[in-house]
Amino acid sequence: MIMTHRRFMTRALAGAAIAALVLSGCRGGGGGDEDGASAGITEEPCPDAVNEDNGCIYLGAISDLTKGPFAPLAVPITDAQKAFWQRVNEEGGVGGYDINIEDHIADAEYNPEIHNRRYQEMRNDILALGQTLGSSQTLAILEDMKNDDVIGIPASWNSAWSFEDQILESGANYCFEAMNGVDWAVQARGVSGTVMAIKYPNDYGGDAAAGAKAAAEANGLEFVEVETPTGQDNQAGAVAAVLQQQPELIVVTTGPAEMATIVGGAAAQGWQGTVVGSSPTWNPALLQSAAAPALEAMYFQAGPWGPWGTDTPGHEAMRNALGDVTPNDGYTAGWAWSYPLLAALEAAAEMDGGITRANLVEAAQNLEEVDYEDILPPESGNQAGEPDEVAWRESVISRVDPEAPTGVSIEQEMSAGPTAESYDFSEPCFALR
Amino acid sequence: MNTFAQAVLNGFSQGAIYALLALGYVMIYKATHVISFAQPALMVCGGLFSYHLTTQVGLPFWPGLLLAMILGALLGMAVERLALRPMVGKPVFTLAIITIGVDIVLRIGANRYMGANPRIVTFPNGSRQYEVFGLSITHQRVALIAVTAITVVALVMFFRYAKAGLAMRATALNQETALAQGIRVGAIFALAWAIAGGLATIAGTFVAAGSAGMEQNTWIIALKALPAIIIGGLDSLPGAVIGGLAVGIVESLTAVYQPNVAPFLGANFALVAPYALMFLVLLVRPYGLFGTREVERV
Repeated sequence: MIMTHRRFMTRALAGAAIAALVLSGCRGGGGGDEDGASAGITEEPCPDAVNEDNGCIYLGAISDLTKGPFAPLAVPITDAQKAFWQRVNEEGGVGGYDINIEDHIADAEYNPEIHNRRYQEMRNDILALGQTLGSSQTLAILEDMKNDDVIGIPASWNSAWSFEDQILESGANYCFEAMNGVDWAVQARGVSGTVMAIKYPNDYGGDAAAGAKAAAEANGLEFVEVETPTGQDNQAGAVAAVLQQQPELIVVTTGPAEMATIVGGAAAQGWQGTVVGSSPTWNPALLQSAAAPALEAMYFQAGPWGPWGTDTPGHEAMRNALGDVTPNDGYTAGWAWSYPLLAALEAAAEMDGGITRANLVEAAQNLEEVDYEDILPPESGNQAGEPDEVAWRESVISRVDPEAPTGVSIEQEMSAGPTAESYDFSEPCFALR
Repeated sequence: MNTFAQAVLNGFSQGAIYALLALGYVMIYKATHVISFAQPALMVCGGLFSYHLTTQVGLPFWPGLLLAMILGALLGMAVERLALRPMVGKPVFTLAIITIGVDIVLRIGANRYMGANPRIVTFPNGSRQYEVFGLSITHQRVALIAVTAITVVALVMFFRYAKAGLAMRATALNQETALAQGIRVGAIFALAWAIAGGLATIAGTFVAAGSAGMEQNTWIIALKALPAIIIGGLDSLPGAVIGGLAVGIVESLTAVYQPNVAPFLGANFALVAPYALMFLVLLVRPYGLFGTREVERV
């Protein structure tokens, strides 16, 4: 039987359409020798070294630089980290070494599988990971990091990181952040009805939803949870859920595009309430979008520290180091996250054997304070005790402010709500899988 | 009832974007018998043309859109002339693969322009709301529906009354006969790509004017027009419109009702619903709802 042209094309196209469905569903994503003890550190100066007499420490960064949902944040995060380590080098380096994070920057597109591949490519060439972006993504390399004695700075705030010795986190995690957001909304916005958590179906979303649920229960509020995929064209379900269930408070844990689509879409059909977004839900570019009026009226950001324009020595150092850039709180995060690694490197340099992977792991585990130059209090960097005793629980609540450099300004200074303060943090809020 | 009507209205306005894209696919298919997988890139580039003209150059929205449509049409023509015209006579499968390559090349260029931040087209008073019979719709969505309706009517008039439209219909029917009648088939191919580029620009502009703007992964939206043209029929312009609207409405209705009516289907089944509809249509009408049935010799 002869297959006609049109039938062939129809079948080919149907196949392509299925491939498109799969695509839509999946998107949402140096130097040194190979001896694990000294990998990623050389006595040779870094390429384009600031201090020619120093050796070189190579850090890796696995980020989301092009296609993933957090690219608008990840690019400035990475640029801020480059600027942070450049400043360290200009101040003499650490223990006789300059720090190089430029040579091992990889784009994993917010995809755990690609994340793992990128780590395999750099694992023998780096001393530590200056950035590993994403919760599930970091989980995809965590066992290898443990085998390699590599510590990592997570570009995420998952509560599980408090329980991992080789992950050096900063600021309140998504779980505490969501608790503080709900507690604040109850106290400051008078929320007394349903709390809805809209989340990515991954560890990032799960962690914040667990915090929102704990806070809703603590406040005697009804709680519902809605999973939503990545992609602004895939938010019809979340918008419909908001319109049907009419929550008073939405806790969003998505990317900025999804958050704006949901809030803009629901508001366009008459929904009014309060929206508290996790830190990565905000992008100042949204102020140019059709959702801007709804965001200005209803959106608040729960974040781990003050935004770009905050008056602290750390923020000022960041602004000076980055120079004439368009303000973005991705910069703030990338900068703030780097302090504990600097503290661990400085501590390792004082140990027998100096800076090695093993010493760095030990130094990181024993950090009791980190000088964040007032971006966070020093005690927030305590890694030495049990998570329930030392985990940092305080967040900042910001509101949309078109006049502010990054479109948000502080509504409530850093504090912990009653739910976060009393929460039994003997295990992660959401089990990583 | 109000919930149902609101869901239909929401789906209708989203479906308008799919319909514009589907029309582009069908235009090219009718003229050249090739499925163009470059439509996502044309949509992205069109949206970025509008962004650049309105935000960077400073043109008002409507003149910006008009100029962007012209640029989108020129881009479509350039793609046809440079990538596809030299391949005339080669198997259509080869040509379809070439359009995938064109899509990738164009999107790489577009991504370089976009960078990491979303590119947002500002639509004047876009978030202003209207209430009609208890249903809400924004000013921007009204404009989208109106523009789609005007475009569809213009296309119908073009095919019915314009000489070039008649030539396109003749070419779609039989290229060799059209050539024998003095029709410049190559020019018709270019015209089809130009129209598809213009249509994709309108769709891209309204996507970029949405809540989240145009990002590097926004191109995936254009793939939802694929089930639309299969549902409507590969060679049917009315089918493309109805298929696009059907995809939007089915998606919207599923999002509203499935979590309560059929929760066992899991979260976000609305993503799958257009493809389920496509399978259903293919089972009943293998050539789509309005596609031309081919007579086969067996």
